[in-house]
Amino acid sequence: MQVIRRVMAIAAAKLLICLSRLFGYHGTDFPGRVARKIDPDILKKLGANVQEEIFIITGTNGKTTTTNMIARILEEKGYSFVHNRAGANMVTGITTAFIKESNLLGNRPYEYALLETDEANVPLLLKELTPRVVLITNFFRDQLDRYGELDRIISLIKDAVRNTDIELVLNADDPLVVHFQNDTGLHCWYYGFDDTDYDLFQGEESREGRFCAFCGEELQYERFHYAQLGKFNCPRCGSRNPRRNFTGHDLRMTPQIHFFVNNIEIHSPYLGFYNAYNILAAVAVAKLVGIQDEIVQRAIASYQPRAGRMEQFLIGDKKAIQILVKNPTGLNQTLAALNTDPASKSLFFALNDNAADGRDVSWIWDAQIENIAHPSAAIKGITCSGLRSGDAALRFKYAGFNEEIITVESDLEAGIKACLDMEAEVYYFLCTYTTLFASRKILSRLARKTTRPRPKYNLAQPAAGGE
Amino acid sequence: MATFCIAHLYPDLMNLYGDRGNLICLQKRLQWYGHDCLVQPVNLNSEVDYSTFDMIFMGGGSDREQGLVYRDLLRRADQLWKQLDAGLPALFICGAYQLLGTHYESADGKQLKGLGFFNLCTRSEKERLIGNIVLACRINQQIITVVGFENHGGRTYLEDKSLEPFGMVLAGFGNNGEDGQEGVRYKNLIGTYLHGPLLPKNPAVADYFIHMMAARKGIEITGTLNDRLEDFAHQQIKRRILGS
Repeated sequence: MQVIRRVMAIAAAKLLICLSRLFGYHGTDFPGRVARKIDPDILKKLGANVQEEIFIITGTNGKTTTTNMIARILEEKGYSFVHNRAGANMVTGITTAFIKESNLLGNRPYEYALLETDEANVPLLLKELTPRVVLITNFFRDQLDRYGELDRIISLIKDAVRNTDIELVLNADDPLVVHFQNDTGLHCWYYGFDDTDYDLFQGEESREGRFCAFCGEELQYERFHYAQLGKFNCPRCGSRNPRRNFTGHDLRMTPQIHFFVNNIEIHSPYLGFYNAYNILAAVAVAKLVGIQDEIVQRAIASYQPRAGRMEQFLIGDKKAIQILVKNPTGLNQTLAALNTDPASKSLFFALNDNAADGRDVSWIWDAQIENIAHPSAAIKGITCSGLRSGDAALRFKYAGFNEEIITVESDLEAGIKACLDMEAEVYYFLCTYTTLFASRKILSRLARKTTRPRPKYNLAQPAAGGE
Repeated sequence: MATFCIAHLYPDLMNLYGDRGNLICLQKRLQWYGHDCLVQPVNLNSEVDYSTFDMIFMGGGSDREQGLVYRDLLRRADQLWKQLDAGLPALFICGAYQLLGTHYESADGKQLKGLGFFNLCTRSEKERLIGNIVLACRINQQIITVVGFENHGGRTYLEDKSLEPFGMVLAGFGNNGEDGQEGVRYKNLIGTYLHGPLLPKNPAVADYFIHMMAARKGIEITGTLNDRLEDFAHQQIKRRILGS
């Protein structure tokens, strides 16, 4: 009976996966949800097929990129693994990912499982799976969290991991993450950055929760890497960054990322400090698994950005880069990355207010757009698009850009073309969630039309979902 | 060229949903009109003289932050009221607006006192009123539309029926989702639930404050600004909500 239930659940979900592919949906929650209705223990059962370890990757920002990079490293090593690649990071999406890799009987073994998991879903997932490692990238309070939602989730995650053998991999530079050790007593591995040339000595986002997790006192920062990540100490109780096991050092952004992790040299085609953190986290996990340095280096260097993660397109002879932006912290990081690129730029910003983007677009006023409104950012033109193109245009105007260089084209295709019509050395496409795939489709089509495929830009990658 | 000074009350505690965009807007527009504008942050425990400002601005915050701010404001409430009553332009958003009333009852039944400037009160409920909102407001003897985004658990009631609301709701919830009123208006003060932020997409309201500030200084604001993008953004969201 148990077996029949399991096989039926797997068969039904596999059929639904095929069907949804046929209709061109990326959505991968539904098959898992159906399978769980048929066999509520399906994830537990399939989870038992993992021979080595299960890794859970969670946090506010960077979990998709970090998980994808770890996947690339495991691939390079030749391991078999389950990975919820499409970015469906709820328990249902994770169930789908397991079923995808399973045979009908549900007994095919895999070596690892890499599970990008929504923060609020971590406690639910831990009821069904026993990972070796939970990696927490960072916790950012964004505008959705004025009412204590993040604090609640953090304490739920702590409760869920307490009294287990789980090892935590934590960002040593994030004061909202580091207290996990004291509160759970688990073994913790820390990664973080040494001083870099890109650090700031004053925080930009005044509202980030920069208060001591132990005593509530305002933290003192020696330096900021970005947002509330940095070198801090509490003047009252003396808490400070924990000692790192994996240290990122000698960071250079040209704008591509070059740095060392415990003396292992790393090069990546990615841009931006936040991606350096993602790489550092991925390398830390790889070293915990015991993967050789050369394999890690090769995997990171060959890892090309996915949809919305600085994916590049070549349209004629124009270099286009697409970036997903979804909150002020992410947008600030993107702007900081633009500032490290000296090339002249034509900028495209598509702002929608559908449910998946957030109905409230006021977050664009919390981002420091002013940081790129100076001549050395070399921004030659700005095209605003999407359902709230007007709000986007106003934000740029009031950030100090001359109105003359701001174009409004609400239609995505017209907007993308207007952006590409500008004279510039590089074209940046900033997209909120529901404009991302539509814009990507248009960019891919334009790239195919104008360019013979070059393997370097790897346009045939499957579309990946977001966090 | 004159220099205007706007007080930003409790910027660290009271700044939800891009409310600081209102200050960016006032500052830029004053510059475009040929003047200078300083924004002075006023934090907890700082000594202030409200008579030295041309305008007061305060944004929204959570319940906890509202409590801290209330105690601090209370120290100088008389002086603040004297200025507001004398026509000092002021914009109070969301939590700041609620503080102007007699009291605020949180969702778990706790009563918080307000400054009591107006006979209005707020009762909070679990279910928040969230969404785009369009108002009809009278600004400079003209009825205009005002657009924004509201997100509040509090239901505010103007108990004193002679109090004038900031506007009437054309689409959205407003003060309480029941009586069609939104915000409060008194002399040159506006209290409102509109985030978004309010002023960039409603340049007529921004200019209303600018003209009032200038008039009190005995200065005339000359010229008009090119509001092509502002009007576009206003119309874009209005069309989307009212559907015409």
